[in-house]
Amino acid sequence: MTDTVTPRPAPVPAPAQLPRDQGDRAQEDDRADPAAPVLHARSRALVLIAVLFVVLAVAAVVAAGVGQLRVPPSEVLESLLARLGIDIGDGPSHPRGDAALWNVRFPRVVMAMAVGAALGAAGAVLQAVFGNPLAEPSVIGVSGGAAVGACIVIVAGWGFAGEFTIALAAFVTGLIATLLVYWLSRSDGRTEIVTLVLMGIAVNAVTAAVVAYAVFLGDTQAREQIVFWQLGSFNGSRWEAVRIVVPLVVVALVGVTALARQFDLLALGERSARHLGVNVERLRLVAIVLVALLVAAGVAFAGIIAFVGLIVPHLIRMVIGPAHRYLLPASALGGALLLVVADMVARTAVDYADLPIGMLTALVGGPFFFWLLRRTRARAGGWG
Amino acid sequence: MLKQSRRALLAVAAVLGVLLVAVSCGSSEVKLEATRASAQSCDRPTTATSDGWVEPIATDVEPVLPTTTVDFSGEEVTVTDASRILALDTYGTLATTVHALGLGDRLVGRDISTGVPELADLPVVTHNGHNLNAEAILELDPSFVLTDYSIGPLEVQLQLKDAGIPVVILDSTRNRAVIGEQIRSVAEVLGVPDEGERLVAQVETDIAEAQAEVDALREAAVSGEGARRMAFLYMRGSAGVFYWFGEGSGADDLIEALGGVDVASETGLRGSKPLNAEGLIKADPDVFLMMTDGLASVGGPEGLLEVPGVAETVAGSQGCVIDMADAEILSFGPQFPSTLRALGQAIYGVGGALDEAGGGQ
Repeated sequence: MTDTVTPRPAPVPAPAQLPRDQGDRAQEDDRADPAAPVLHARSRALVLIAVLFVVLAVAAVVAAGVGQLRVPPSEVLESLLARLGIDIGDGPSHPRGDAALWNVRFPRVVMAMAVGAALGAAGAVLQAVFGNPLAEPSVIGVSGGAAVGACIVIVAGWGFAGEFTIALAAFVTGLIATLLVYWLSRSDGRTEIVTLVLMGIAVNAVTAAVVAYAVFLGDTQAREQIVFWQLGSFNGSRWEAVRIVVPLVVVALVGVTALARQFDLLALGERSARHLGVNVERLRLVAIVLVALLVAAGVAFAGIIAFVGLIVPHLIRMVIGPAHRYLLPASALGGALLLVVADMVARTAVDYADLPIGMLTALVGGPFFFWLLRRTRARAGGWG
Repeated sequence: MLKQSRRALLAVAAVLGVLLVAVSCGSSEVKLEATRASAQSCDRPTTATSDGWVEPIATDVEPVLPTTTVDFSGEEVTVTDASRILALDTYGTLATTVHALGLGDRLVGRDISTGVPELADLPVVTHNGHNLNAEAILELDPSFVLTDYSIGPLEVQLQLKDAGIPVVILDSTRNRAVIGEQIRSVAEVLGVPDEGERLVAQVETDIAEAQAEVDALREAAVSGEGARRMAFLYMRGSAGVFYWFGEGSGADDLIEALGGVDVASETGLRGSKPLNAEGLIKADPDVFLMMTDGLASVGGPEGLLEVPGVAETVAGSQGCVIDMADAEILSFGPQFPSTLRALGQAIYGVGGALDEAGGGQ
């Protein structure tokens, strides 16, 4: 009278269903019901992107209206419209208000948005490439490498490219460091993730030593410049710098968004992705170069701003899931929003003072990182 | 077998341990023998206070504008309006010079290092001393800005130019030889060359007087001993921000004017470098020169002795620390005569403007 107990068939893992043209569906999202209509997750993603866009626009205008020099938002809009040829009000009442807006504040807000977008997207891409939720731009050596270039120029007092010498040097050395890390961690045409991370750590250690030596060599001014550069700041952002950073960021963002689908496939695992036609090595290399471009463009002018690439993609993923087609643009928007707000706080929290923005993001990012570590550990039961 | 080797090992360890303890105990008994007769009158911490700030050379000074000058960065800058001036540098020298030229009432803001009492109430537009805040500067609506590369960042200076404010960059070198030139360059930009020449003549006369006084004091105090060995120490807090200033930093010039030997330059040090304890002991200065706030930030003369290397020098053991206001000691400029006189009196121990700072050794 005993029932025949037939073992239930092992549940087919959901990811295996994906190859059949369902990349739009949220994959490992805990809260999404796999049986829910495809439209649900997608519309949520689109709504989030729309919301982020609107909030970013509002935040940008508010940030442009807040600062040491009081210009109310209405006057900010008047000034903006006046530049476009529409004369509504009188514009800013302070004699230097217009100049302050157009030469100091607007370039700063735009720079914050560009750098935020770059760092947010870079974080998301790195997490895809490494398959590890803790991947961050500084891991692959970009920040460290960029710091070396900047410090050398600051201490040596070079000026071969005028005001852009520091940024150019940071850019070049950042890219070199990243490629070096990547090249050193390849063997037999493959890249081991763990080796990549360890190489990145080694490179960061060396660059930290070089920076320390530069601090020793430099005079008081150089020292302060290096320290401020290491903590990140948008103080002194000018249109000339914006003109360099924004196109680079836009190009790189378009590049990584084009790879979105391949990132989704890579999330299945290296072997599966390869079977599905993804050239994993080439994808990784291209992704890393694009990330280096994004991050170097970001740090070259603003210094090192940490944790944006860590916080933003995770928060976005918690809302709309890991589909990269929406994750990447949303991370970019989220990063831009985060830095615009952080910069606003940095320049208004203390009168006449400009807090280093890297400090603010680290203050928020650090605890978030801890929480993430614990959560990942608890979920995955280790680093696997 | 094992027991034997283990016992031998223990015995060796014990012997080594005893030796180590003996050596370390013994070495703390070794005192630095005073090989030089340090019968100097400077045997306690002293604060040098100048007898007042430089007075304006004239009142009702009218700038002759416009002026066009080629500034330190090589750019030609035209100043048409001198009604609202900002003079910003890390030493406060530029603001002091503007004040000494009689145009101090046109200043609308200041940097943190400006010590002129009349200017104390002006809003400060440099945060943490060395960084310009573009918005704060624009808020004050200056008609032009006088600055140099000792303060930055460069991008903010460029932003101000973009905003249409003439920014004149001057030379940031500070030493005795360039005082006249520095005053002249400020006067030229402001369109008051005559007052500038008068101020230069006045200041040069005052410097010569002060120098003669200091030399006389030195002769009386030192009398055949040889020059006092001096070191300028820069400190901020007790967390390791300890520097000493050498050749080309301005401190060497100051020490030379005081008739001393700059021990830092002697060791070949250029600019400012982190303080090396053994280097300091080897250099063995008789006198420490410091900024008042810097000395206070390490906990006064007692705290200074905790800094590695200090207590083993003659200056440290005798407590010969001369401190002076941050805004004055390395600023040179028109205030230099008073600074020099005050320091001379503090070091060589005679005269009116003598103040005791904090406790003794």
